[in-house]
Amino acid sequence: MTLLIGALTLGIILSLLALGVYISYRIFDIPDITVDGSLTFGAAVASVLLVKHGVNPLLATTAGFLAGALAGTVSGILQTRFHINSLLSGILVMTALYSVNLHVMGRSNIPFLGAATLSTYCEQLGAYIFSGSETNLWGWTVSSADLTMLLFMFALVSFIALLLWIFLRTDIGTAMRASGDNPQMVKALGGNVENYRIFGLAVSNGLVGLAGALWAQYQNFADVQMGIGMVVWGLASVIIGEALTGATGVGIAIIGTIIGSILFRQLVAIALSFGLNPNDLKLITAVFVFAALILPNMMSKLSVRKFQGDA
Amino acid sequence: MSEHKSQLSVNRALVKLDNIYKTFHSGTVNEVRPMRGINLDIEEGAFVIVLGGNGSGKSTLLNAMAGSFPIDSGRIELDGHDVSKWPEHRRASLIGRVFQNPFSGTAPTMSILDNFSLAAKRGKFRGLSWAHSRHLQDELRDRIRELKMGLEDRLDCAIGSLSGGQRQALTLLMATWLKPRLLLLDEHTAALDPKSADQVIALTDEIVARERLTTLMVTHSMQQAINLGDRIVMMHKGNVLHDYNAAQKRRLRVDDLLSRFENVRRRELLDENAAELLRARYI
Repeated sequence: MTLLIGALTLGIILSLLALGVYISYRIFDIPDITVDGSLTFGAAVASVLLVKHGVNPLLATTAGFLAGALAGTVSGILQTRFHINSLLSGILVMTALYSVNLHVMGRSNIPFLGAATLSTYCEQLGAYIFSGSETNLWGWTVSSADLTMLLFMFALVSFIALLLWIFLRTDIGTAMRASGDNPQMVKALGGNVENYRIFGLAVSNGLVGLAGALWAQYQNFADVQMGIGMVVWGLASVIIGEALTGATGVGIAIIGTIIGSILFRQLVAIALSFGLNPNDLKLITAVFVFAALILPNMMSKLSVRKFQGDA
Repeated sequence: MSEHKSQLSVNRALVKLDNIYKTFHSGTVNEVRPMRGINLDIEEGAFVIVLGGNGSGKSTLLNAMAGSFPIDSGRIELDGHDVSKWPEHRRASLIGRVFQNPFSGTAPTMSILDNFSLAAKRGKFRGLSWAHSRHLQDELRDRIRELKMGLEDRLDCAIGSLSGGQRQALTLLMATWLKPRLLLLDEHTAALDPKSADQVIALTDEIVARERLTTLMVTHSMQQAINLGDRIVMMHKGNVLHDYNAAQKRRLRVDDLLSRFENVRRRELLDENAAELLRARYI
């Protein structure tokens, strides 16, 4: 049960990452590798603020969001003002961020030993709500700190998903979606496509930075390597979400992405508990995304062949 | 009628093109010069038809006004502003556009309502207000009902699922949702089947007349050129070859236009023959 709660919490935290990837990949049709750097950047900034400066965890988490948004802004400026290929600009920013993260953190790993974080907050809150460090959940004994963390993350992600949904249905959010769909038309209707893209990537990477800040606090350390391969993780979540919901509207796509992230994390946890070598995790994730990318195409080819066979 | 005419004559020029030059792929074998010192004034309320063969520069003329690319030299004045240096999205505050390709004017994966919520903010600041206001939905349903295409109950449909003719009619409605100072129509029926093309042309005529829009319409169809508008500009090799005002246009027949084109073609052939002759003699 503890394992399940842990996987659930992490899946919910990383659904913010998945929502960020949804914005860049689905709305703007960009595979944005900046994500690998901005996840760590958000975690690095938050952890330094927490451990070295003793900043309030909520403020430090917000700073993680802003750090990610900054990374996204730089990536967006490279793409629009300097006309650098979107894939390449992501690689540039991600690479640069590796050094930046090391500078921010001062070393490659920061443990949170005893610093006040959202985890310690949840521990205290959990002990207060469930009156004790352990509580009974449908016959299972679980740590009240873990349970509170799960509930807190669920509430936070729901709130952010709601904000995102509202934002994408405002005037500027609609224009942003359209600029990914048909930039020519948005220009003809007076929209500044370049600015929308910069802003969209800022929001996208802001969510990723936020995920990084929350993840670090959840696992009680930040590591300079924690972002590696996370864009593929986000893609897997988005793709699972779409397969489950057949996403047409924005709201359904957002919910699907969150469910996709949670489900994917559960699958990984189950695989790990059955003895999957953690070293193979990225390989399997990549193979999974590869399969998900080519399957729809192959299916349609198959059905065409079948159709021709019938005729 | 005479009153209407005198009103037109006192109208100032809404659009002034002053000696516009544009060369693409300059200095390469692919060099094209679609604008070679174009001068053109368009009065407020005029409905101008632009004719010309392939590569005559007629679409380039529209795109230059809309700001799709920067011009090499010259000056574009629109509604009293020098817009020569304005980026495309800024000029959109004055200009409504419909493209030749029905896919260009709408965002395919978004709903009809989404698309019109964008059109309702053409050239205006886009902030955090709700895109689908109740007011917009009601007005949209009424205006789309007038199209008689049965789309008024499908506002949440993705616009990409509609036919080319439907999309082009909607694009026209979007371009004129907020009254533009200038409406640019770039062969907007060329990609449609004849029946849809007729519908879109009828709609164009109706909207332009009702809103008294200053309009520039590029077309390949001589019939459309004869039936619509009150002025014909014929382009050739990046310049204005003929310019017929309303009175001259009324006397024009399709055959006259065709013979004009035939003349142009003959002259081009002659040019080529002459060049051949010179080459044979001197090289």
